[in-house]
Amino acid sequence: MRNHGGACLTPGRRSEPKPAQLVKAPGKAAVGEKKAKPVTAPQHPAKNGASVPPPPPGDHELHGAGRPFWSGSLTIGLINVPVRLHTMVTDRSFSFRLLHRADGQPLRYDRVCTRDGRVVPWADTVKGYEVRKGEFLVFEPDELKAVMPGADRRIRIYKFVYYLSLDPVYFETSYLLVPDRSEEAYSLFVTALQELGRAAAGTITLRTREYPVVVHVYDGALVLTTLRHADEVTMPHAFPTMPALPEPKEAELALAKRIITDLSGDFSIGDYPDHYREAILALIDRKLAGEKIVYAEPRPEEAKELMQALQETIATLARK
Amino acid sequence: MAGRPGSTEEQAIRKLTRVRLTRLDKMMYPATGVAKADVLMYYIRIAPLMLPFLRDRPLTMHRFPDGVGGEGFFEKDAPAGTPDYVEIFTRYSETADRDVHFVLCNNLDTLIWLANLASLEIHAVLSTTGSYESPDLLLFDIDPEPPLGFDDVIDVALVVREVLEEAGLQPYVKTSGKKGLHIVVPLVSGYRFSEARDFTHGIGKQIARSTPRVVSEFPNSRDPGTIFIDYLQNAHGKTMAAPYSLRATPGATVSTPLGWEELRRGVLPEDFNIKTVLSRDEEPWRGMLDTRQKI
Repeated sequence: MRNHGGACLTPGRRSEPKPAQLVKAPGKAAVGEKKAKPVTAPQHPAKNGASVPPPPPGDHELHGAGRPFWSGSLTIGLINVPVRLHTMVTDRSFSFRLLHRADGQPLRYDRVCTRDGRVVPWADTVKGYEVRKGEFLVFEPDELKAVMPGADRRIRIYKFVYYLSLDPVYFETSYLLVPDRSEEAYSLFVTALQELGRAAAGTITLRTREYPVVVHVYDGALVLTTLRHADEVTMPHAFPTMPALPEPKEAELALAKRIITDLSGDFSIGDYPDHYREAILALIDRKLAGEKIVYAEPRPEEAKELMQALQETIATLARK
Repeated sequence: MAGRPGSTEEQAIRKLTRVRLTRLDKMMYPATGVAKADVLMYYIRIAPLMLPFLRDRPLTMHRFPDGVGGEGFFEKDAPAGTPDYVEIFTRYSETADRDVHFVLCNNLDTLIWLANLASLEIHAVLSTTGSYESPDLLLFDIDPEPPLGFDDVIDVALVVREVLEEAGLQPYVKTSGKKGLHIVVPLVSGYRFSEARDFTHGIGKQIARSTPRVVSEFPNSRDPGTIFIDYLQNAHGKTMAAPYSLRATPGATVSTPLGWEELRRGVLPEDFNIKTVLSRDEEPWRGMLDTRQKI
């Protein structure tokens, strides 16, 4: 975002976003070399904020628009910016139902006792933590409730960091923050973050979990991304199969850099469509056109019998 | 759904019931060729006899989405998507440590809805919502252990009846639809479950002392060649198969109210099934709930 200078400094979310303007990042700035940033930060064009244009309009559905799933405020010290959280990521991976091959009926998952193979109703279940193989500590709902983090309706900001110093390995899910009658404060925050090239780092409690989060500017709006905890990501050098790397030769490095520079460009997520999904949808269309989908319908006489039974019973009940 | 969407049959059915009927052709009892349409038909026809008993009685559904050949499951809670016409009774359950939303079958549509959910078996508690902690029925659940059979159960049931009648009570009997018989006595209000349980246990013990092969204690209940008079069902939240409920047996048997004379002549549980019960003229439990008694 900071690469665009004043390109998206309009406060708040514009009623008419102008993606073209956002895509046009100045060539050399896209590489991000001139920026002061920690040396460890690798370049991740895909996540570098506004350099990713919004997906093509056709794929753009408003998921849960107008219905925030969380509202609270962004809190920086004594400053509060009331915001609402909207889901902006939708899993579009294709899913099938599992059927019984013999009769085509959908299968159902059951909680089955591993000892006697019987289905256990929810009411008869309890949570257990496996201490050793086959040995469990049993936890009642109340015990777990006691240690759940309090949902305090705040996104607590502790620090501001260079956006490029964040590594996508920690990114989990992104949510859109919409100002909650706080347009001025929101706009101020958007502009300041953008001009400084920073993101806000802090925490949020969603349902029963506290997450580290980062808030950055994307497409002229604040976006909150939940992060994985440090111990959920294994660092590359913890892998025994990761060898020590030799120093590259200068001439080869120069060549490699030239190739990279020649192939450099703006990232566009639209360049990478979901081929599998498209293929499946095409397959479904073909099947729908070519194959009859059979589902048994009641015979008309069956329906007539039901009707007659209903009429008679209703009459009997009315007499009582 | 019934008939093609928008077909005249479907439209006509929808004028008669608010229930969206689904998968009518689904085989429920493969051994007898009973499909879901037949189950719906049965419950619609039996409704006038069944609904008065079910009124305000929290239910447990025993559902068999894949028919009796598949695995069934018990459901106490109104499932997601329970329609508005189904009355709900919410009660905190200590065992589950949460509120349970019981279904009450207080109208024809609810009964049809239960049938459509493949709740082949409908079980009801022995009290009603008005006084949930106080039983309105006393239950003797009599079951045989092989090699004893239904004839032996009948013999014991007749002894139970005799003892109860000597005590000035008027008992009612029905097949459980499985191997045994249920004897019930409707109670005046105000009793505690513990009182009903102690009374039933007392009768059971008395009969066990004087009648060979009858056991009244739980640890012996599975001894081969015995008849167990179960008193433990007289407890808060315990259920009994409702009169006229189908059972998940291969022959689609029905838990059927019987007359004592009919029982004395000798019957088999299989005599009373989805195909025969509707043509019975007898209504042995008619007015049963109006004969509330003191123990």
